[in-house]
Amino acid sequence: MTTTLPAEKVKARSFLQDATRRFFRNRLAIVGFSIVAIFLLIAIFAPLLAPFPYDKAYFDRARLFPLQHPEHLLGTDDLGRDYLSRLIFGARTSLMVAFFVQAIALLIGVPLGSLAGYFGGRIDFVITRIIDVMTAFPSLLFAILVSSVMSGGFFTVVVALSITSWIGIARLMRAQMLSLREQEYVNAARALGASQWRIITQHIMPNAISPLIVAVTFGIPATIFAEAGLSFLGFGVNDPIASWGKMVGVSSAYVRVYWHMALFPTLAIALTMLGFSFMGDGLRDALDPKQDM
Amino acid sequence: MLRFLIERLLSLIFVLFAVSIIVFSIMHAVPGGPFDEDKGRLPPAAKANIMKKYGLDKPIYVQYFNYMKNAVRFDFGIPYQQPTTTVAALIKKTWFITMQVGVLTIILAFGLGITLGILAARYQNSWIDNVVTFGSTLGVTVPNFVVALWLILFFTVARQWLPMGGWSGNNSTCLIGNYFCSDWILPVFAYAIAPMAVIARYTRSSIIDVKRADYVRTARAKGLSDTVVMNKHVFRNAQIPMVTVLGTEIPNLITGSIFIESVFRINGLGKYFVSSVLNRDYPMIMAMFLLIAFLWGVTYLLTDLAYAWIDPRIKVGAKSA
Repeated sequence: MTTTLPAEKVKARSFLQDATRRFFRNRLAIVGFSIVAIFLLIAIFAPLLAPFPYDKAYFDRARLFPLQHPEHLLGTDDLGRDYLSRLIFGARTSLMVAFFVQAIALLIGVPLGSLAGYFGGRIDFVITRIIDVMTAFPSLLFAILVSSVMSGGFFTVVVALSITSWIGIARLMRAQMLSLREQEYVNAARALGASQWRIITQHIMPNAISPLIVAVTFGIPATIFAEAGLSFLGFGVNDPIASWGKMVGVSSAYVRVYWHMALFPTLAIALTMLGFSFMGDGLRDALDPKQDM
Repeated sequence: MLRFLIERLLSLIFVLFAVSIIVFSIMHAVPGGPFDEDKGRLPPAAKANIMKKYGLDKPIYVQYFNYMKNAVRFDFGIPYQQPTTTVAALIKKTWFITMQVGVLTIILAFGLGITLGILAARYQNSWIDNVVTFGSTLGVTVPNFVVALWLILFFTVARQWLPMGGWSGNNSTCLIGNYFCSDWILPVFAYAIAPMAVIARYTRSSIIDVKRADYVRTARAKGLSDTVVMNKHVFRNAQIPMVTVLGTEIPNLITGSIFIESVFRINGLGKYFVSSVLNRDYPMIMAMFLLIAFLWGVTYLLTDLAYAWIDPRIKVGAKSA
C-alpha cells in the first residue's frame, strides 16, 4: 500500500491506544465495564456505603420484606441483619476471593506453563502429566472435599479454589510458548545472541500478555461463581462474613414466602458475572491485533 | 490406531491411580474421622470395634492398598451412612435418578439448542439471531442455581403453576405413567439452559463459518438447491464443532449437578456426594471421584474417535505440536 497522506497527518497510535479505542467502540463492552466498575466501587467502599454493619443482627426484625421497616431498604435476613448491607459486603467477599484465587493462579500457572512450553522435553512431559491428572478432577467436587477437610473460612475457600484454578492459565501459557518460540523474531533474537532470559522477558512475555489478561477477566467471574457455589452448598466462608452464595443458599429454605431473600443475591451474582463476561468479550476483541478496526 | 488406543487407555489408568492417591491422602490428611464424638457418642470400646471393622485402625498406606485391592475387583466397600447396602448399590440407585435428569436435560438442551442455532444462522442478523445470541450469552453466564431459583420464584411462588421440585416419579404429579412428571420440568429446564446456550452458540457460528466456505459456493454454483446444499454440505461439516460440545457437556450432564439436585431436593449422585463429604464417608467419596474421573477420561477418548469418524481428514493418533 502506498501512503499518499503527508507524513505529519498520520498520527501514530500505540497498541494500547488502539486497543482502548476498539474496546470503547463496543457497546456491550462498555456495559460490562460499567457494571464491573460499579461492582469494584461497591466492594472497595463497602463500609462507607452500607447503612448497617454486615453482622449487626436485630433479632426482633427477622425476615422483614423490603421497606417493611423504613431503615431496611431491601428487608432483612433470617437473623434480622440488614439485607442491603449484606449484599454490599457480599460484593467485597466475592472480589477478595476472586482476587486472591486469580493471583495464585497466575503465580503458579504462568511459570509452570512457560517452563513446559519453552523448554519442552522432560520438563514438559512431567508438567503436562500433572495438568492431565488435575484436569481429570471435577474441580467443584475437589473444592468441596478440600474445604470440608480444612477448617472453613475465608482462606480455606481461597485454597480450595486455587488448587485447580491455575490449570487453565498453565495450559494457555504452554500453548503460547509453543507457538511464540518458533516465531521469526524470536529466532532473530536468538541468532543475535540474546540470552534465554532476555528472549523470554523481552520477546515472548509481551506477546503472551493479551491472552493472559483475557483469561484472567474470564477467570474472575468463574471464581465468583465457584465461591458462590461453595457457599451456597454450605462449604464456603464462615457465618458472620457476608457472601452472596450463602445468602442464596439460606434463602432457598424460605423462598415460598420471603422472595426477597432469594431475588436480590441471585440478581447480584448474575449481574456481576454478566458484567465480567461482557468486559472479557470486549477485551478479547480489542486485544486481538489481527482484527481490523 | 491400536497403538493410540493402548496409549490412551494406559494414561487413563495412570490418571485414575493418581486421582485415587490424591483423594485418599486429602481425606486422611487431617485428624477426625467418620466415627468421631461429635457424630453421636460411642463408648471407646465400641468405637475401636467399628474402626477395626472398617480397617480404620491400620496405617494409611495399608488402608489405601486394601481399598485399591478391592476396588480393582469392583468392590468399593460399604458406605458408612447406610451400612446395610454397598457403595456400588448405593451409587447405582442414586446415579439412576441423576441419569434420568441428565438424559432429559441432554434431549432438551440438544433439541432446542440445535434448533435455535440453526434458526439464528439461517436468519443471520435478524431479530431471531439477536435474541438467540443475547439469550445464549445470558444462559452461559448465569449460574444454574441462580436460574433455578428464578424459575422457582416465578413458576412456584408467584404463579403456583409447577411444583418446586422433588423428582418423585410415582405420584399424582405424573401425567403419562411415570414418564412425564410436572416436578421434572423445573429441574430439567434449569439444568438445560447453560448447555443449550453453548450448543446454540456453537451451532450458529459453525454453520455460518461453513456457509462461507468455497465448497459451499461451488455447490451453489453448480445449481444445487438450498436444501441439498444445507443437508449435504453445511450440516455435515458443521457437526465437527458439535462433537466438541457433546464431549464436554455429556460427562457433566450424566454425573449431574450438585446445585440442581440440592435446590430441587433430588436424591441423586450430587446430593449424596455432599452428604458423603459432610459425613466423611470415605468409601463413597473415593468411589464417586473414581467414577467421575473414569467417565471424563472415556468421554475424551470417545470424542477424539468421533472426530476421526466424522472428518476423515483427522488422523487419530497423529502427533500434534
